[in-house]
Amino acid sequence: MPELKSVGRSNGTQDGVGSRSVDAEALSALMDDEAQELELRRVLRQNAPGTREHWYRLQVTRTVLQGETPLAGVDFAARVRAAIDAEPTQSAGSGGGWKHALSSFAVAASVTAVVVLGGQQLAQTTAQSDAGRVAPLPVGVVNTAGAVPVQASFGTRSLPTLQPADRTAYRELARQRLRRYSQEHAEHASLNTPQGMLPFARVPVIER
Amino acid sequence: MHGCRSLNARFLAFALSLGAATAAATDNCPNLEPEVVRLLQAMSSNAQQVSYSGVVTLQRGGDMQVIEMSHGVQNGEETEVISRLTGQDARVERSGHSAGCMHPGHQLLQASAALGSGVCGLSTSYRFRVAPGDRIAGRAALRLRAEPLDMYRFGYVFEIDRDTALMLKSTTLAADQRVLEQFQFASIEMQASPVAEAATAHQAQHPHPHEPPAQEHGLPWEVVWLPEGFVPTDAVPQRSLRKSYTDGLASFSVFLEPLARAIKPGEGLERQGSTVAYTRGLQLQGRPVLVTVLGEIPTNTARMVADAVRLR
Repeated sequence: MPELKSVGRSNGTQDGVGSRSVDAEALSALMDDEAQELELRRVLRQNAPGTREHWYRLQVTRTVLQGETPLAGVDFAARVRAAIDAEPTQSAGSGGGWKHALSSFAVAASVTAVVVLGGQQLAQTTAQSDAGRVAPLPVGVVNTAGAVPVQASFGTRSLPTLQPADRTAYRELARQRLRRYSQEHAEHASLNTPQGMLPFARVPVIER
Repeated sequence: MHGCRSLNARFLAFALSLGAATAAATDNCPNLEPEVVRLLQAMSSNAQQVSYSGVVTLQRGGDMQVIEMSHGVQNGEETEVISRLTGQDARVERSGHSAGCMHPGHQLLQASAALGSGVCGLSTSYRFRVAPGDRIAGRAALRLRAEPLDMYRFGYVFEIDRDTALMLKSTTLAADQRVLEQFQFASIEMQASPVAEAATAHQAQHPHPHEPPAQEHGLPWEVVWLPEGFVPTDAVPQRSLRKSYTDGLASFSVFLEPLARAIKPGEGLERQGSTVAYTRGLQLQGRPVLVTVLGEIPTNTARMVADAVRLR
């Protein structure tokens, strides 16, 4: 799974506005089991190349492993369009419209079915092999663009190792705590370590 | 700004009671050479009693900050100011601090000199070596290397001014000798001087080592394990949001936040230079809490400390 770059990384030049709300967001995501949503917002905020592809893979992983049909995403649409383009062109006579629509639906459905079946098999394999293990297994989730290995652990049992989305949310929390508590820590570091007041220079954003 | 009288009284008593045993100090503490003892003591006390000012750089990873700083002593009171010359337009000032007021971290630094009753101060946690140093900010320095004796803390290399014993450069090293952080004077003058004003000005607090602050917050808690050599920096009530600790060279703080609802258990980490913020969500006696350990310590230390947080 590609490593996400941090968005909220403190660099000492950002202001502190909004940090509490992002913070609350991270906490609430962990409370409401919505860490994926948090991930989405962070990823989309990043607006980097590959962002949509990354989000798409996360989405496919989640929906497939929940036993649902994945939403028609970027790759599905492209694949379906390609399949339709490859079909012999229908004559423009009466009924061509609905036939075309029907064939599109059929192609789309078949692509979806492959993914769902593949996903279920993978999910099952994962569930079985998870028994008695503590470490998560890499789960290969197939999307229409080909096999994309995604590091994940989606068992029903609670495992000591965390799910990727949790890690992201917790990292966000750690980042926020660093920002929130650095100054208070520096009050003590500046009186109890040999560098004098310099520990305040470590504080990402000094507040009044 | 309140003074530090009770601390001075206590420390004085503490130092005197150990005075008789001073002769045996270095015999009992093989890691502690007399030269090191003198250097640590001078570095710690002169930092409070000498007036100086200058420009300091702070390097952490690829990031470099430039900071202007001034330390003045007048009528036995210190005024310390740092002001950021890069990045955020901010300054921090601590004024009216008694130059004789010694907090636990500096007591540990200086205790090495006075102790002889089987207590070796910092030398139980670090091995010290003195060597000729570099030229820093146009001044000749001695190099004091502090190597950790366990895995719970980082190593340090200090370049100490030969004339004044002021710390001119401080490097924090990971176990693999990677440089995590470096403070260094680019220029220094042996007098206090005015420091740039800033948009954000913070008056530093003076957390008292023995008088607990009034504020309390909900749950009584404690840290049942600390790496050897770490002591509390101040007296805090059991219900305090924060508890801080120092071993004389490093420090970290532990924060406990009670949560309204349970969250998925887990852990998160953010490291910036030598500073780590480690956050763990868990349930203690059925109460959902968020524990954060923040400080200049290795990740595993933070993790182990977080693991040792208990409700009382």
